[in-house]
Amino acid sequence: MHLPAGIRNYTYAQDMAIFRTKTQWVMFGGLIVLLAVVPLLMGNYWLSIFNIIGITIIAAMGLNLLTGYCGQLSIGHAGFIAVGAYTSAILTGQYGVPFIIGMLGGGLIAGLTGVLFGIPSLRVKGFYLAISTIAAQFIIMWVISQWGSVTGGYIGLNVSPAEIFGFQFTSQLSKYYLIMGICVIAVFVAKNLARTRQGRAFVAVRDNDLAAQVMGISLFRYKLLAFFVGCFFAGISGALLAHCYYGFLNPEFFSFKESILYVGMIIIGGLGTTVGPIFGVVFVRLLERLISLELVPFLESTVTALPSGWASGVTPMLFGLVIVLFLILEPRGVAHRWQMFKNSYRLWPFSY
Amino acid sequence: MADLLQYTITGITVGMVYSLIAMGFVLIWKSSGVANLALGQLVLLFSWFTYGMLAQTGLPVWLGLVVVVAFALLLGWIIERFVLRPLIAQPILSLIAVTLGMAYFIEGLCTFIWPWGVDVLPRLFPQDPIRIGTAVVSQEYLWAAGVSLLLFGALSLYFKYSRMGIAMRATADDQMAVQACGIPVTRIFSRSWMFACVMAAVGGILMSSIGGISYGLVETGMKSFSVVILGGLDSFLGAIIAGPIIGLAENLAGGYLTAYTWPGVKEIIPFIIIIIVMFIKPYGLFGESRIERI
Amino acid sequence: MASKHSKDITRRGFIKGTGVASLVLFIGGVPFLISACGETKQTIKIGLSTPSTGPAAEKGQVLEHGNKDAVRYINEEWGGVGGYPVELVWMDNGYNPSNMVNNVHKFMDSRCITFGCSSSAMMTAGMSAANQNGFTGLAVYGAPVIYRPPKHIYGQMPDYGDDFVVFAQYYKDNLWNGQGKPKVAMHLLNNSTGSGAHDGAKAKAAEMGFELIEPVYEHTASTTSETTSLNSIRSLNPDILYIASTPKPSSVIIKNANELGMTGGNMVIACGHAGMTKALVDLAGADVCEGVYGLFPTVNWDDDASGMEKLKEYCQRYHPSDYGNMDYIASWCQSLIMAKAAELAVESVGYEALAKGDGAAWKAYEDYGIKALNNYDVEGLQGPVSYTVGDNRMSKSLRVFQVQKGSINPVTDWIDAPLIEYEKYDWFGKQ
Repeated sequence: MHLPAGIRNYTYAQDMAIFRTKTQWVMFGGLIVLLAVVPLLMGNYWLSIFNIIGITIIAAMGLNLLTGYCGQLSIGHAGFIAVGAYTSAILTGQYGVPFIIGMLGGGLIAGLTGVLFGIPSLRVKGFYLAISTIAAQFIIMWVISQWGSVTGGYIGLNVSPAEIFGFQFTSQLSKYYLIMGICVIAVFVAKNLARTRQGRAFVAVRDNDLAAQVMGISLFRYKLLAFFVGCFFAGISGALLAHCYYGFLNPEFFSFKESILYVGMIIIGGLGTTVGPIFGVVFVRLLERLISLELVPFLESTVTALPSGWASGVTPMLFGLVIVLFLILEPRGVAHRWQMFKNSYRLWPFSY
Repeated sequence: MADLLQYTITGITVGMVYSLIAMGFVLIWKSSGVANLALGQLVLLFSWFTYGMLAQTGLPVWLGLVVVVAFALLLGWIIERFVLRPLIAQPILSLIAVTLGMAYFIEGLCTFIWPWGVDVLPRLFPQDPIRIGTAVVSQEYLWAAGVSLLLFGALSLYFKYSRMGIAMRATADDQMAVQACGIPVTRIFSRSWMFACVMAAVGGILMSSIGGISYGLVETGMKSFSVVILGGLDSFLGAIIAGPIIGLAENLAGGYLTAYTWPGVKEIIPFIIIIIVMFIKPYGLFGESRIERI
Repeated sequence: MASKHSKDITRRGFIKGTGVASLVLFIGGVPFLISACGETKQTIKIGLSTPSTGPAAEKGQVLEHGNKDAVRYINEEWGGVGGYPVELVWMDNGYNPSNMVNNVHKFMDSRCITFGCSSSAMMTAGMSAANQNGFTGLAVYGAPVIYRPPKHIYGQMPDYGDDFVVFAQYYKDNLWNGQGKPKVAMHLLNNSTGSGAHDGAKAKAAEMGFELIEPVYEHTASTTSETTSLNSIRSLNPDILYIASTPKPSSVIIKNANELGMTGGNMVIACGHAGMTKALVDLAGADVCEGVYGLFPTVNWDDDASGMEKLKEYCQRYHPSDYGNMDYIASWCQSLIMAKAAELAVESVGYEALAKGDGAAWKAYEDYGIKALNNYDVEGLQGPVSYTVGDNRMSKSLRVFQVQKGSINPVTDWIDAPLIEYEKYDWFGKQ
């Protein structure tokens, strides 16, 4: 880790600190101010895009802990998000539980479901484990669609807006602050979890689980803990999705394709770093929307001589092309590039 | 009894179609360790391309199929050369993510060229169903089952006896060692992508003559993931056996369990079986279990 | 010293300067970008969201084209809406619900007066934002959940549940000559398309004197063989096999039923309106589909309706590949209805009030546009459109069609589907 010249660590705590220079504090403060001020200048459309990005970051943070730190590949994240969404919606809607408790309940149940489907991870690993999580996705969605007396089945479920101490989060702006607040907490928790004993155990399990076991790390405990934590984040994100984004739940909102995309997002961002998932989510979610909601309608209205079906085909093509090109040029993810940028900034004007 | 016969025959024939797609997946995994997430989309693309050759250009069937195979070989080469080759020696998950990007690209390409989204291939097989005792099975399925057995045989022989096939297996085992022996690893990757594309094309032609060309092909392609994992990621034998197992599980469950559980149980049962099998044989039925060293 | 000092300032200063500059640019730029999208032309803006990419692209594409061509037609032949051209704000939702939420906000931000949407899954994603703001939406195909209980979302046509009720009535009156209760087996797509029909049957089948066979059978959109489920259905010996699905799975089911020898006897096959299109006949083959009944809420391409000639002309000119597709007519009608309501609203409250596209304009559009529609014939292309209090289905009429020699021909005139108050049943729409 490079530090600016002249800055030395005198204590262990100083060495471990996330922010070590004044500039970092200033930048961090600036970021918080930016997050707080920018929405005031945006319309509801952009706010709704920022909201989905925030919600996705929370879920991606969880997946990153599970896949990036602990090395357990999960291709069923949307299923766990659905568990959180439905649990929270049912708790608040049918049992009159306050939103905060409903949300935590959603996280808890999603986490426990994750542990259940994580049990095979004790026997299998890598892509073989993926099937257990794919199974989780399909089984969860099947139960939700069929258990109509509780979940509303295919008909769906109306969800009340989030409410904290009597304040209803109905406007896009209030939703934004709620989501970003929880998102910042989630990032903070994820960053610090990765630096604890548990986080280091996760990394040890990821790098070589046999070696980790020999060193006395209980695989049973840490693999299931990773599943619990990863799916807990998914559950929280699901609860926000239900209360602050859709206001209605339908099993079709949690598709298998979405699960695959989550894995794509954390890989593009950079596995096993905290900023990685944030970059990945912003990159993928913005790209999806910029192409299909901005670029294509714009081109379609300006260039009239295009064949029919042009615009619709170009959206996924561009999306795919950017992902492919990006990975060819930067296979280690945005986080890697970000690290290089930071290093070169610190060393500037020298090259090393 | 009549029901059982029908379910068994339907299950096995439907399962053989899954096997066909699954073998294309195994081929790539076996040589390069990459999980090809674009498999369903490739199947869709080749189905549409076949449609383009046979229905739109009006080529005779034999010539059209030759063109399709040539196109598959070319596309396989292009994918390997321009998308995967630059990523050699990078983290394997990046290679998987690249196939995800490719999946979106191919999907868009299909919409771009064939925007109407649903169509039928000209009839390649006779339509009359065949009766086996009291059971009925459509001929397209028998053809698909036959072709996948044939391809399985050809691939097994190729991997067992041909120089290139043996080199491919060696590559799967240890890329570095193979390179050190002077075997061109890049050519092996290229060859395996070309073959995998041809298999996707064959699968696409057979599947779209069964149920028409539509986006549903992508989802059927995804179903082959479960077949591959049940069989073992690196085993052709696994793929050819796991397909019918999944097909049977689906159809027997659909036939006998639907009345006692919720509808749609047939989509779930295969996963439950797979999870149970995973506990007993963690590397799939026929996958190679690797000895781990610290 | 001086040089070191200046270098130090350059490095930090550069970054800080860039940081501040980009911050200013960003904060200043975003509103500018948003405001730059504003138009100066006097138009009536209508939003449209279709699933033109993704798993439902086969339908979404056609729905997009039909609406776009209809708007061209409205602007060229009607002279716009009350003299003001319609501007369609089209967005693709990719059958991705989170995109749909963004779409609805985009429509509201860009001062549209209403929006159109196609499938019930997408409408359920977007409807909460729309209902909350009183922003009126019109869905071309829908399940009852989007407007039961009625709020600001309207259905252009009867829903999938109404399909079943109308067909059951037709069957009772014209086809049934046996004793006792006719038995209905249902084969449903595993989403709201299938469940919509199931809801209709659950609510009305017993009352109408039918025996609904439970459990119903379900299939996925990617199914390649339904021999097994049909084998079970065959042993139950139903009088009606009712399929509520999209064309591709419907074709697989009909083909398999044919192979099992279920057709040709007394059993009747009927399809809900999501599946009853030309694609079904193409996929399954004309001979296999012969005699299959289906329901559809618009006229057919061969029908003699007053608006048909122009529709065909525009279709041939702009999107000839959609010729013969029933979805094209449905979506064409969607634009006609949205524009007609806008025309009524312009007459009542004037262009200025409506073009503001704010809460008041949306309310005006709903109260003086949509709710003022009374017996509008949609140029003869679909059932007449009227608003009745408490019923957000704009048209209640369906026709029964039958596949005869490979073409889909109507066998009845418009039949009105009664309103089913689903929210009164305890199994519907958990709150």
